[in-house]
Amino acid sequence: MQLNHAQRELTLKIVYYGPGLSGKTTNLRHLHAKASPEVRGRLLTVETHDDRTLFFDLLPVFFSTSSGFKVKVKLFTVPGQVIHNATRRIVLQGADAVVFIADSRRGATADNNAYWRNLQENMKENNLDPSQVPVVIQFNKKDLPDARTDAEIEESRRRGGEAVVGAVALRGEGVLETFHAVAQAAYRRLDMRAHLARNLGLTEAEFLGQIFRRMDLTGTALAAMYGRAAGEARSGDGR
Amino acid sequence: MNGASGNGASDGVGASRRESVLQRRLSLADMLDLPSFVEVVRSFSELYRVGIKVMDTAGDKLADVKVGHGDFCSYVFGFPEGRSRCTATVARVKDGPVAPVQSARPARGDGAEAAGIIALPCFTGLRYLVMPVRWEGDTLGRVILGPFTPEELADFPPSLTDISGVDLSRAHELVGRVRRVPERTAAQVLVHFGQVLAALVASGQRAFLATQLHIEAMLETHRDLEANNARLAQANTRLKELDRLKSTFLGTVSHELRTPLASIIGYSEMLAEGLAGALNPEQLLYVRTIVEKGESLLNLISSILDLSQIEAGRLRLVMGPVDLGSVIQTAVSSVAPQAQRKGVELEVRLPPLPQPRLAADADKLRQVVVNLLANAVKFTSSGGRVSVVMSEATAQKELAAQGYRVSVEDTGMGIRADQFENIFQSFYQVDGSSTREHGGAGLGLAIVKSLVEGHGGRVSVESEFGRGSRFTVVLPLQPPLSEHGGFSALAPMPSPGGQDRF
Ligand SMILES: Nc1nc2c(ncn2[C@@H]2O[C@H](COP(=O)(O)OP(=O)(O)OP(=O)(O)O)[C@@H](O)[C@H]2O)c(=O)[nH]1
Ligand SMILES: Nc1ncnc2c1ncn2[C@@H]1O[C@H](COP(=O)(O)OP(=O)(O)OP(=O)(O)O)[C@@H](O)[C@H]1O
Ligand SMILES: [Mg+2]
Ligand SMILES: [Mg+2]
Repeated sequence: MQLNHAQRELTLKIVYYGPGLSGKTTNLRHLHAKASPEVRGRLLTVETHDDRTLFFDLLPVFFSTSSGFKVKVKLFTVPGQVIHNATRRIVLQGADAVVFIADSRRGATADNNAYWRNLQENMKENNLDPSQVPVVIQFNKKDLPDARTDAEIEESRRRGGEAVVGAVALRGEGVLETFHAVAQAAYRRLDMRAHLARNLGLTEAEFLGQIFRRMDLTGTALAAMYGRAAGEARSGDGR
Repeated sequence: MNGASGNGASDGVGASRRESVLQRRLSLADMLDLPSFVEVVRSFSELYRVGIKVMDTAGDKLADVKVGHGDFCSYVFGFPEGRSRCTATVARVKDGPVAPVQSARPARGDGAEAAGIIALPCFTGLRYLVMPVRWEGDTLGRVILGPFTPEELADFPPSLTDISGVDLSRAHELVGRVRRVPERTAAQVLVHFGQVLAALVASGQRAFLATQLHIEAMLETHRDLEANNARLAQANTRLKELDRLKSTFLGTVSHELRTPLASIIGYSEMLAEGLAGALNPEQLLYVRTIVEKGESLLNLISSILDLSQIEAGRLRLVMGPVDLGSVIQTAVSSVAPQAQRKGVELEVRLPPLPQPRLAADADKLRQVVVNLLANAVKFTSSGGRVSVVMSEATAQKELAAQGYRVSVEDTGMGIRADQFENIFQSFYQVDGSSTREHGGAGLGLAIVKSLVEGHGGRVSVESEFGRGSRFTVVLPLQPPLSEHGGFSALAPMPSPGGQDRF
């Protein structure tokens, strides 16, 4: 988190981590498509010709609070290929929360574990305390044969403290829910540390509302929570 | 480790890491390729015949193209009052808020409001349009278009005409060179420029971040490698140290054992010779056993000592001209008693004519032949035959040099092919139980190999299991210079060679 009181700016960083080809970039693409242009910038991707992430993807999401603070949430993906560990470590620097995109297929279990350990290692290398940085786990590619069942995913949720979301990112299923879970976790964590509600007048409801009221939530359970409120169409600083 | 780069490795691990460019807020200049951006601004200015300036939030100019208004502005600037009013206007345009406050109003024109464009009057009646450069919710700078003459301007305002000394007809003549354009048109030009700028920033940001990240990733990888190298170097040093300690320890212990053992053997021999009075037959038998076992113990210790010296790289060859034939003769005579006792026939075949001497350490070569002969006798049972054959000095293909070939052949138990390599390792014996039957420690061939290679030669084995073995030693007439006396090839961990050259 970077909090600049003079400029009245708050910047958050959320990193999508996980094995190669688990669907990190696909998640960001879907978010980009579903967010209204007034809350998001361009999707910056640096890929090889075969669509593998080379350095990172970046999707900025931003809004101004009612109290006139500019909030920017930067969503990054890391490159999943084994050889890019140094880049993963760099991209992870200063993360406020992490989404771990796992491949639901049973055959991918060893890979998921390896990258989970790799995440813990790289957190430590970056002086991030793994017990302090919230992580949301997404079980992606649930559409594929050999994918874990919902019961198995539920069991996996009970084994750890992280929020767990099942997904088929390719069809957009679970992507917004994952983002919602991680945004909420990030907010709560930063509110504990920096008292965003008290010091910035930024409540959790406003933080999430500013973002999710400007996303197309059709077909998700979130739609009921953030039904389009006409009053919010006007953005904070009259741009 | 040498030089400056070595220092970085030790304090590099986990220590303060440079902040990534991803954590930084990028300026407009970071995200634009300035030379090509300036080109774009220039062609825009020239196309629409109006000046364009682009500044970042720090007030630094990234591009500044003046078109048409230069002469008029200089003329007005030439009057003291003109100068102070001009300075105030420019300050407002460059540093004032890009908002409809402080004499500014929203500009007219399609999309002007959405783009946040404001119109600012100049005291001369000319006009500026100023547009913020917005990027992902941040303001990175401003674009200033103008000054231009608004189409609707009929005549100069009092703020120009009341400046004393201004020649109005001259001013009219000069202002005629300033582009005259409706504000809406100017605003559209600016909106369009904003779109081009956004596209340039997007691709510039991508290129900038990719390049920077590429560099960071390389540095990070380099740092990982250095940390790994440092760890390996440390482990390596430790291993070398252990190895050296092992050899030193063996050397010392063997030496300390040999001295008292030599006394034990010496006194026992004196006893056996009756120097301390006659012994009865039973006593004599016991004392002879002491001498015999003592000698085999001494041999073992000597072998260990030799090997440890070789491994420590401390064995020195005392080189001199050597007659290989007589070395072989001496060796044969020292194993002859054993062979005879065992009922093994010993045969020697030397070249009929005297052969050139070779440069070698005679004692060590004798040890080589003795070890091979001792094995041959040891592993051949009664009734068998052991022969030593020495060639004439001829070209040896293994060495690509002139040299001799010595084979020790037996009709003994033989060796299986899968053991050919192992038997040259120290302490290796094909059949561990043979120690009890034949004695020995498995050091003989290791020493043979080291000594032969120390002379620049090669040793090899052929065998038919159950029918016999042949060990062949090939020796050059002159050992290659580099291997003279030294055992660099055998030193357990060759130290990374010498001094830096540059
Ligand atoms: N069947 C299926 N395929 C998916 C799903 N999500 C992503 N994919 C596919 O998986 C492949 C990899 O997806 P990406 O999003 O590029 O993976 P990534 O994690 O960014 O990979 P790296 O950049 O190499 O680390 C693509 O072909 C996607 O279309 C899913 O839910 N189901
Ligand atoms: N001529 C041979 N015939 C059959 N086996 C042999 C012969 N020479 C060596 N070997 C095998 O190779 C092993 C290693 O030989 P080496 O001379 O190194 O040790 P050693 O004779 O057992 O003991 P040491 O020489 O230390 O007294 C022997 O134990 C034996 O098994
Ligand atoms: Mg990717
Ligand atoms: Mg031997």
